[in-house]
Amino acid sequence: MKVLVVDDFTTMRKIIKNVLKQIDIVNVLEAENGKHALTVLKNDSVDLIISDWIMPEMTGIEFLKACKSDETIKKIPFIMVTAEAQKDNIMEAIKSGVDNYIVKPFTPEKLREAIDKAKAKVGK
Amino acid sequence: MDVKYINPFIVAAQSVFKTMLGIEVNLNKPVLKSERTTSGDITGIIGLVGDKKGTITISFREKGAMFVFQTLVGDDCSGVTPDVVDAIGELTNIISGQARKEFEKAGINLKASIPMVVVGKNVEMNFITTIPIVQLSFSFSLQNGEQEVMYLDFSFE
Repeated sequence: MKVLVVDDFTTMRKIIKNVLKQIDIVNVLEAENGKHALTVLKNDSVDLIISDWIMPEMTGIEFLKACKSDETIKKIPFIMVTAEAQKDNIMEAIKSGVDNYIVKPFTPEKLREAIDKAKAKVGK
Repeated sequence: MDVKYINPFIVAAQSVFKTMLGIEVNLNKPVLKSERTTSGDITGIIGLVGDKKGTITISFREKGAMFVFQTLVGDDCSGVTPDVVDAIGELTNIISGQARKEFEKAGINLKASIPMVVVGKNVEMNFITTIPIVQLSFSFSLQNGEQEVMYLDFSFE
């Protein structure tokens, strides 16, 4: 499985990569915001997107909406990972088409469950 | 200060350490802190607004901060690098998020700023409130058995 991790903090991308490694997912691409991620997606195919919420240039929600309105990438399971645990934020992500939502802190097992649910939602 | 303002931070700190670092932290006796300075060597700071306004800081000594980085990222580090500083900022963000989730259950809605991190001991800070700062200190063990501590200072009104 190839995963695209999108977060403006290098360290957070490393943290997520470390958690993915613990569930045997090691093929990971990185992007520092939604705009960069869309460029990566033009050149590489991925099986899953994991994105942060608050990022400069293009936020996680804006990136999510851009993905879900693009026929070539809308079927890629999209998981929002964030420290924002509040209901309004969750609802906004759901309305924008997120396939799953995981709130930090999370264990590798919880991330694995979130990935499986996201894949099931898009029929993969 | 009312215990209902303290418990969310205790729950958050313990939950985050257990989930993301895989270790237990033990709460020491809460104290009121008179100095408006950082408690450790590396300090994450987040402002809060909403039903209350104030500031949270999460502070580690160098060894504790390096341990947090190594455990979260899975890489070694030889000192307090920019990545270590980032990791403390991220941990501050996550603990703040969990605490705000607990506050929401109690009907107190808060929004947080993006965290900033200060490196240095006894750096003066503006907590934007006039009331005393509550300090929660949490002890935890490093891999070699050494004890370290995380200081969670907060003040809001």
